[in-house]
Amino acid sequence: MNYYTWRKAKNYFFHSLLSISAVLVLIPLFLVVAYVVYKGISGLSLDFFFNTPKPVGEVGGGMVHAIMGTLYLVALGSLIAVPIGVVCGTFLSEFGDGKIAKSLRVAIDLLTGVPSIVIGIFAYILIVIPFKGFSALAGGIALSLIILPIVTRSTEEILKLVPQHIKEAGLALGLPRWKVTYFIVVKGNLKAILTGVILAISRAAGETAPLLFTAFGNRYVSTELLSPMASLPVQIYNYSISPFDDWQAQAWTGAFVLIFLILGINLTCRTFLNRKKILEKVTRQK
Amino acid sequence: MENVVNHSSNTKPTPSSSPSGGPKGGFFSLKNQDKLHLTAIKSLAVFVIGLLITLLILLLKQAWPAVTEFGVEFITSDWWNPVEDQFGGLSFIVGTVLTSIIAIIIAAPVSIGVALLMTEVLPERAGKTIGLFVEMIAAIPSIVFGLWGLFYLAPFVRETLTPIIKSTLGFIPFFNGPSFGIGVLTASLILAIMIIPTITSLCREVFRSVPTLQREAALGLGSTRWEMIRLAVIKPSFSGIMGGIVLGLGRALGETMAVAMVIGNQPEIPKSIFSSAATMASVIANEYAEADSDLHVSALCLVGILLFGVTLIANAIARLIVWNYNRKQQG
Amino acid sequence: MSQPIISVKDLHIWYNDFHAIKGISIDYLPNTINAIIGPSGCGKSTFVRTLNRIHEEVPGARAQGSIMYMGKNILSSEVDPVDLRRQIGMVFQKPNPFPSMSIFENTVIGLKLQGEKNKSKLMEVAETCLKKAALWDEVKDKLNKPGTSLSGGQQQRLCIARSLAVNPPVLLMDEPTSALDPIATGKIEELMTELKKEYTVIIVTHNMQQAARIADYTSFFILGELIEHGLSSDIFTNPKQKTTEDYITGRFG
Repeated sequence: MNYYTWRKAKNYFFHSLLSISAVLVLIPLFLVVAYVVYKGISGLSLDFFFNTPKPVGEVGGGMVHAIMGTLYLVALGSLIAVPIGVVCGTFLSEFGDGKIAKSLRVAIDLLTGVPSIVIGIFAYILIVIPFKGFSALAGGIALSLIILPIVTRSTEEILKLVPQHIKEAGLALGLPRWKVTYFIVVKGNLKAILTGVILAISRAAGETAPLLFTAFGNRYVSTELLSPMASLPVQIYNYSISPFDDWQAQAWTGAFVLIFLILGINLTCRTFLNRKKILEKVTRQK
Repeated sequence: MENVVNHSSNTKPTPSSSPSGGPKGGFFSLKNQDKLHLTAIKSLAVFVIGLLITLLILLLKQAWPAVTEFGVEFITSDWWNPVEDQFGGLSFIVGTVLTSIIAIIIAAPVSIGVALLMTEVLPERAGKTIGLFVEMIAAIPSIVFGLWGLFYLAPFVRETLTPIIKSTLGFIPFFNGPSFGIGVLTASLILAIMIIPTITSLCREVFRSVPTLQREAALGLGSTRWEMIRLAVIKPSFSGIMGGIVLGLGRALGETMAVAMVIGNQPEIPKSIFSSAATMASVIANEYAEADSDLHVSALCLVGILLFGVTLIANAIARLIVWNYNRKQQG
Repeated sequence: MSQPIISVKDLHIWYNDFHAIKGISIDYLPNTINAIIGPSGCGKSTFVRTLNRIHEEVPGARAQGSIMYMGKNILSSEVDPVDLRRQIGMVFQKPNPFPSMSIFENTVIGLKLQGEKNKSKLMEVAETCLKKAALWDEVKDKLNKPGTSLSGGQQQRLCIARSLAVNPPVLLMDEPTSALDPIATGKIEELMTELKKEYTVIIVTHNMQQAARIADYTSFFILGELIEHGLSSDIFTNPKQKTTEDYITGRFG
């Protein structure tokens, strides 16, 4: 075997290694999705979407309380975090030179790096201790602490792409800076900002750890801000570690619904709002 | 409050009496609007900064009893016994670091391989499709990975993977021992899957930033594609790849639910990769809601602080590496 | 002779340590077109950008001296730059319509954000300004198309219409045709001679023929200094300074 054939063989060898690595990445993804669909789809029923849990031993019952709870908690978290995040991101991009802006940037970076379970402790200390009990409010706050840094960073990155001459054109019309900022710069990029917001929300919707000891969980549909509230991820967790087959089956169905919801949101964002550069910026900080 | 310009096709523009004319001087005059806005937006920023500082202080305060009670022993002792109110967190630190490092060892080569495949080998569209799949992994909630790990991966590890590993590496004590499927290995595998997207996407970005000219130069010398990849792509990207790996490590350290469901939650230092163990994140997830004594809660908060500290360090290192890399790229 | 509408006295501008404009004084008369010519980097753009204080957008820029407009020094802190820019509008080098807005929205955005909500009034202004900018006939059937869908020359006329909608007595133009082809340039020059009837135009240009064609007065800058200012007919046929002559005859620049 001469040297050239050796080099060629090496070339093929490493090419096949690269292909194998792709297979190794795709297999688990495929297995997870397939297994969740396979185990979860059989449990889909009207009961599942419209009923609350039945006592152990009784067949049937559903997760309507957890689905409603997740929607409630995510809405609450977004309501708090999205406006603050968008404004903070705008601040960092448009007025990002001062001392306050620099500290804010550090704070947001820090918050991005906080493990989600520690976010749960934050919300516990902030809400559960003073209000003396698990509550939807605590869960919402926890989710908002997850959403806030993501929205801030994606908004900042998007607005930084707006060329200076666009801002100058606005100012040259004799508009105050805040109007240029919100009505021309922010409004002109609303679609991209929204993409970032939706991705952040979909991420929060799947979080379990921060809700374990904040929103905790219950077994009925609740809209009380200050009492415990179920959520899909926590309900899946509780059911999956339970010894009852029926509950485990429901956990799979819950996982199916959750994954469907989140991947659905993700893919929709990626296909419909796919403006290349924007998406790169939005997804970069993952 | 604003002076709307009087417009019609046949009148000349009429300058108002002075450049700062119009109804003004009030609280909401044009000049004040921007000042007010800046003040408002700055106060919001200060609020967010203040909130974070408050949270950190409150967390520290909550953990303080454990600090004064156990001191350094908290990280040197592995005796964790809520019943006796004795808390040492060493086993969690070991569990976290061990699972994360095994995960990195598994995930890093695979991620680099996929990133290379996407940027250097496949046509753009196929590369993008694989990229989309990788991003989908990142979007799957960790509870779903945990569920899958508990009911699918754990039995697989127990029945298929364990015999293989024992028959090949079993002579090393660390790769031998009773296996129940749930334990360090399963947790590491799950973590590896979960951090692949993080490492892949950073590597992809790094590889993309290699100028085409360098690739062409290598190919022009008559090198094979693999030699080109090694010389023109991997070599100059080395520190960027390291950055991606450390960033992945940061994610692995903080991951909670998937690990909590498959690691077995034994507060012991694992004797082999098949043993049950616990991580800093998993112990908080498991015990926090049911912690009765104040000292227990305090100890868990201290574990949280340690966890935060470890991820912070990993993220800082990753950032430093990437920052250095970027600077070298530009300079 | 009528009173000058803008009177610049001993204006100095610095970017950090760089002394960009070194003591320039010029008077601008109402309803005239005034050109500023000079080699690249002579401070032409800096100078016009200071006339409506857009220069403040560049970090480290500061100005000294006086620019009198309607009896006030616009550089003084009492004058609100926002209000000033409603009186002294600006058209930039590269056409820059707002990318997310339609042609109609682009035209009236200034007025709209000043609080004008009346739809028919806005429509009326849009038509007037697009007509003044000689763009109306080309866009009247597609007012809801994005502004960026137009050609470069049309975009620049849209930007002029956008500035006119705020109705500023003075219009600054920073090399408005440098990114355009000769035909589009011709249209904009035609437009400027039209605008002169109602507005005072101060235009920076790279193109000496353009200055000679349209400007009533021309100033010649080199390295931040005013070499010569006067009637265009004088500057281009009978310059007083040797340097000016060298420049306009193409001996350097």
